[in-house]
Amino acid sequence: MSLLGRTALLLALVGAIYVVVMSLASRRPGRRAWEMSAERGVYAVFGLTSLAIVTMWTALVTDAFELRNVAEYSSSTLGTGYKLTALWGSQAGSLLLWAWILSGYAAVAVYLNRGRNRQLMPVVMAVLMGIAIFFLGVLSFVTSPFETLATVPEEGRGLNPLLQNVYMQIHPPLLYLGYVGLSVPFAFAMAALVTRKLDTSWITSVRRWTIVSWLFLGMGIVVGAKWAYETLGWGGYWAWDPVENAAFMPWLVATAFLHSVMVQERRGMLKVWNMVLVILTFTLCLFGTFLTRSGIIASVHAFGESTLGPYFLVFIIAVLVASTALLVTRLPLLRSEHSLESYISREAIFLFNNLLLVGLAFAVFWGTMFPILSEAARGERITVGQGYYEQVALPIGIALLILTGVGPLIAWRKASVAQLKRRFTVPLAVAIASIAPLALLTDAGQSWPALLTIVAGVFVTACITGEFWRGTKVRHALGGVSWPGALVSMVGRNRRRYGGYIVHLAVVILFIGFAGSKAFSTEADIAIREGESASVAGFVLVNEGATRSSDEHKEVTSVRIGVFRGDERVTTLDPGIITYSVDETRASQVAIDTRPDRDLYLFLSQLQDDGLARVSVFVNPLVGWIWFAGVMIVLGGLLAAWPSRPAERRERAASPAPDGRAAA
Amino acid sequence: MGILIGALAALAVVAAVAWPLVTHRAEDPPDDPVDDARRTVEEDLQRSLAAIREIDMDHRAGNLSDEDFAALDGAERARAVELMRRADELSAP
Repeated sequence: MSLLGRTALLLALVGAIYVVVMSLASRRPGRRAWEMSAERGVYAVFGLTSLAIVTMWTALVTDAFELRNVAEYSSSTLGTGYKLTALWGSQAGSLLLWAWILSGYAAVAVYLNRGRNRQLMPVVMAVLMGIAIFFLGVLSFVTSPFETLATVPEEGRGLNPLLQNVYMQIHPPLLYLGYVGLSVPFAFAMAALVTRKLDTSWITSVRRWTIVSWLFLGMGIVVGAKWAYETLGWGGYWAWDPVENAAFMPWLVATAFLHSVMVQERRGMLKVWNMVLVILTFTLCLFGTFLTRSGIIASVHAFGESTLGPYFLVFIIAVLVASTALLVTRLPLLRSEHSLESYISREAIFLFNNLLLVGLAFAVFWGTMFPILSEAARGERITVGQGYYEQVALPIGIALLILTGVGPLIAWRKASVAQLKRRFTVPLAVAIASIAPLALLTDAGQSWPALLTIVAGVFVTACITGEFWRGTKVRHALGGVSWPGALVSMVGRNRRRYGGYIVHLAVVILFIGFAGSKAFSTEADIAIREGESASVAGFVLVNEGATRSSDEHKEVTSVRIGVFRGDERVTTLDPGIITYSVDETRASQVAIDTRPDRDLYLFLSQLQDDGLARVSVFVNPLVGWIWFAGVMIVLGGLLAAWPSRPAERRERAASPAPDGRAAA
Repeated sequence: MGILIGALAALAVVAAVAWPLVTHRAEDPPDDPVDDARRTVEEDLQRSLAAIREIDMDHRAGNLSDEDFAALDGAERARAVELMRRADELSAP
């Protein structure tokens, strides 16, 4: 198995080198056959990395402990599902996943562009396979997933208990689908710069790639937060951990790109800025991978010490220097077609939104790197606490939230004062009117940042709801459709716009979830024997006895806690401690009762032989809103990225404007 | 077994990758650059038409004043006309 896996990776590496050489050489006239050969080379690289990954999965499922990767990250007692996902529990295995996804994306990009972007595609192939060469080289010569052991152990060490969780089965692939997917826009941007074909065609080609990759990265971040929430037992979901930040930074910059790209499409502006964002996004993806693998940071999410750091660092510097140099040489070709006419215009709002997103990304980068830089400069590692991030993220977050409502209501080029008055009077009135009931009837008045966030959320919701209402009204007025039909027709005819609005609404829900769970969380540690009770935030928690269960894989010790409000039983929860038989490691079994208004979260820290249970109790308001928002963002994003059918496009282009005038 | 599968995979890859080089005649015509340009213009035109419809929708929904609408709509329609002219030029035999 080792030989097959190594051979497949080595052949894939040779294939990737072949593609780079042939695709660049094929740019000369009359060498279409060379380009076709390179295209097939991309498919071959995908086939070979698929062979390598299937070999690795086979080794994991069949307990081939002669492979270090299997012996150290799997065991015969592990379920098949976890054996398969043990692939990304290891450094080398996760790099193999990276390379496989990259080659898969490259194959899809080549297939989808087989009849278009003929000038760009040779360079796109060369860039994507250039990246693949780095990963396949590392897998072949630095850290091979197919390394064998001199002495074959009878049993494997098993998978880290923290990773034996359904969220960890999907979180890393989602993150990689996002990280790696963002190499495709980068490849198209580089191809546009190399070929000097800097019109909007590269932008059109990468828009959906960017949305889909952005969605995957966002889903990966949310699923990772859910994993942290349900597994680590500290009652929170986001700790500004360096590895969390590593995924968050490219997501922020990609969000900026998704907005600024519209300015280039519509107004021919921000061409250089868009290139910068694409380069920055991809570099941050590589930087995130470097952070997780270099061993320079300590994190529950990171791999351990490794020798990979210098290789990644050199690669990142090479990518950054080469792409920046290329961009600088093409600056004269990237002049804007228009200039900013007014600061009260949609393009200006997008620019502010971009500055805030990139500013936040920079602040997060600074906070993440500061401990490393301080250690390098002064020999002392100065940790940056959550306070720093929250101080920076709070005002920027609220400003961004407000812009999500303001942007869509402001016209391109310029908006008049009368127009602003007409559009914003109602949303502002609704937001102001919400202050009193929020302050008087809820806890929101006790925390001004939470109150401000929720009021901003009300304002944005009013703005977006108004957009849906006005659009539906216009569509209905054109006749022939019912109100629901008008809404569906309006959304269907402009999926990008209304998909974006759904994402904006989800952002409101997300922020309200953040505000509730950050500002009004209650935490208490209780110690109760069987039959005893304790009160926390209006709940009475009764110890109803301990239970123990075990199988060949693990032993679970838990305590049954009855939760009451007055005489009414609200729920029964079983927080516990899991001890894995393979290496006696322990993990927590957090028990959560989720309701729309709050989570009741119990973490068993100790259960004594005499029945005394020490339990951490968290009452976290509105956490469920965060996960709901995550689902809404995915749905809105998919709607925005969903392609129109060719027939639909033709029909739309041919049909006149709603008032019957021809388009021109 | 591993060696056999590896060797077969290598052979299959070489055959698949070399096939276009073997079967394509040297005088194969290069790609038509006009085709790419036509496609780009067509995509720009689709975007411009979509923009015209969006401006119209914004105007009807009250997001644009008559004055702003006239300016934006006029500019976008002029752009669409120019793109149509270029598309016609590129389609001419």
